[in-house]
Amino acid sequence: MALPLSYNWRNLFVRKTTTLLTCLVIATVVGVFTWLVGFAGALNRSLSYANDAHKLIVLKQGATSETNSAILPEDYNKLSQVQDVAVNPKTGEPLRSPEMIVQVSLPRRRDNGTTFANVAVRGVTDAAFGVHRNVKLLGKGFSSGSMEVIVGEQAAKQFGGVQIGDTINLGYSGNRGYKVVGYFSANGGPMETEIWGPLTTLMNSYNRNMYSSVNVLLNDKADPDKVAKFVQGPSVDLNAQTEPAYWYDQSKNIRIYLGIVGGLVSIMCVAAIFAIANTMYATVAGRTREFAMLRTIGFSKNQILLSVVIEAVFLALLGGAMGCIACEAWLVLAGNTKDMFGATTFTTMAFEIKLTPYMVVGALLLVAGVAVLGALPPAVRASRVHVIDALREP
Amino acid sequence: MTIAYVMMQNLRRNRTRTALTIIAFALPMAIFVAAISLVVALIEINAISARELRLGVHHKTTLVNPLPEGTRRKIEALDPGGKRLTAVCGMRWFGGKIPNESGTIQSLAADADTFPRVYSDAELTPAEIEAWNRDRAAAVVGAGVAETYGSKYSGWKPGGRVVLKSTVPPYLELEFHIVKVMQAKGQANVFYFRRDYLTESFKTAGIDSPDCNIFWVKCNDAASLAALQREIDQTFANSPNETKSEDENTFRAGFTQALGNLPGLMRAMAIVVVVIIALVAGNTMMMSFRERTRELAVFKAIGFQSWRIFFVVLTESLLLALLGALIGIVPTTLFLLSFPIRRMGYLPISALTVSPWAVVISVVIALIVGFAAGLWPAYQALRLKTVDALRRVG
Repeated sequence: MALPLSYNWRNLFVRKTTTLLTCLVIATVVGVFTWLVGFAGALNRSLSYANDAHKLIVLKQGATSETNSAILPEDYNKLSQVQDVAVNPKTGEPLRSPEMIVQVSLPRRRDNGTTFANVAVRGVTDAAFGVHRNVKLLGKGFSSGSMEVIVGEQAAKQFGGVQIGDTINLGYSGNRGYKVVGYFSANGGPMETEIWGPLTTLMNSYNRNMYSSVNVLLNDKADPDKVAKFVQGPSVDLNAQTEPAYWYDQSKNIRIYLGIVGGLVSIMCVAAIFAIANTMYATVAGRTREFAMLRTIGFSKNQILLSVVIEAVFLALLGGAMGCIACEAWLVLAGNTKDMFGATTFTTMAFEIKLTPYMVVGALLLVAGVAVLGALPPAVRASRVHVIDALREP
Repeated sequence: MTIAYVMMQNLRRNRTRTALTIIAFALPMAIFVAAISLVVALIEINAISARELRLGVHHKTTLVNPLPEGTRRKIEALDPGGKRLTAVCGMRWFGGKIPNESGTIQSLAADADTFPRVYSDAELTPAEIEAWNRDRAAAVVGAGVAETYGSKYSGWKPGGRVVLKSTVPPYLELEFHIVKVMQAKGQANVFYFRRDYLTESFKTAGIDSPDCNIFWVKCNDAASLAALQREIDQTFANSPNETKSEDENTFRAGFTQALGNLPGLMRAMAIVVVVIIALVAGNTMMMSFRERTRELAVFKAIGFQSWRIFFVVLTESLLLALLGALIGIVPTTLFLLSFPIRRMGYLPISALTVSPWAVVISVVIALIVGFAAGLWPAYQALRLKTVDALRRVG
């Protein structure tokens, strides 16, 4: 028979102050940790929906993103040589989408418009809705040739002045009013932080005769890398990347950011190991006689070792649960919206930090692991109690 | 037997606990010093920028929308006597990178005549100003850029020649002659060259585009800056080119926010860390006090005054905190100083060096935490009823 769990549970409340202080240390670490995991998760979720390996993003050679790329109409025409392009089943047209990216500065809603974010405005033709397979209209679309735009769900959520009925000022001189007529979703991908409008009207408003990029959807049989090589070759001479590769480059800075925060959080986790070890050593030292007594009535060394470790895991789970609750409360109270520039897009990617059940379970598992590491040395000491000497102690 | 001896014996008695506490204290402290360094560095840079009294004027829609060259004349006309503004410097984004390297250098073309006056923090000497005026291809570069590329390429020093290829249309490749490496902290990762050189090169490429992205207005005093900020935006309101004027710190804060608000995160981390170390230290002091209640009573019984006991307990806590702080701070400081992080990317990370202030703040915080953690147990020791404590068992 193992030691009953209630023995451990009730032991935690014998030293209330110590238990509470240790729990708070763990809660703080777990709170920060879950926030970080939530952030990384939100980013990965967003990028995983921009992961169509059969979509090629074609840019001018030398450009680093759609924002600073300029494709002349004659460059665009050269793309007709590209094989293996998917076709629109209804019209039979190849799914090649010329697009123009400009930007508009919008107030962030989370600080009531004190700060502004650069949001991408994408001029598109009908082809775009075939090429970007994850984009779905929610309600009404814009009519081509009109001064109308539709707004990505996430942009509508996080930025001001882009709700249905609002007018956004766009154009070379920022004096052409475009009316917001609808929303669209991109399955959570980065395009949800964009505003889409009719290509030709937008090009007129910006006095442009060039596209920014061309997005091409390849058919299922195509080898995207081979097609990209062809586009880069002498006959077309443009830069082509698959969508996952493009977003991998553009999220480089965010990954560095996450790396820095992750490094700091792991240092805190190590500190938590020491804090738990400290508490468990004190607990064990105060209970030497108790352990000796348990040994006398027949519990084995290993049972006592296990019991101490279980007690630490209880302690850690208690703190971990507090941390997860604190993190969720923080997200609810302080807001869970976050947006960051892509590496060279000069436009922002907005996401919502959310705690999923998996993340909570992961955090609790981690903290349980931390507790095991911290509790093992004191547990070993407890199990090696010298029975006779300990019982004789005053 | 001196008091100091008693304290040292106390720390030595439970070596495991002392060691665990110090490590659990040192690790968060290491994070604290790094986080606070970034915050301090940014405050320093902001203070320098605030002294420079520069007002940035850009297009209201976004920074990318260009403003015509003539904007400069209109701004200057607001103060013909030069009582409120010293000079106006128009700038255009070039976004150059070294061919075959991945990182884009923050490179801008600046009005040659006014640059030295508007950017007095570049600290150009009269001889360097003469070189800048004489040579159309002249450029000044921040120490961070010069260090990063200087180890790999020749030319990144005064008198050297470097080639940059623009990442914005029409992707010009230009050669520059470096006349100065700027040491100013806020200018570590920037590259400025003459705008007439860029306009000329555009013309050679068949493009007539003398527009600017931003105009920096150097003001004579803070009141003029505030007044000009209002007047400039009023002047251009309802014109085809509406402007938005911001002082340099606000302008930079916009970018910091867009890049994920690392300083804000670091401030939050610093607070979290202080909470953790306070809990760790408090826990340890509570534990050691509890175990030593009888001993302290014995001290009192043999004639130690209560205030001495108070002093012993409090000093022990301070000593622990100081040891933990030193073990945390020293390695981090050495690490950050030997691998200058300013080679990485943009502000504010590029500004990260450990200033003496950051170290002082960290030590002071550690001492405050040590003091606070020791206060309650010390107070209890002060109030200790000798007879009761001696009678207590275990």
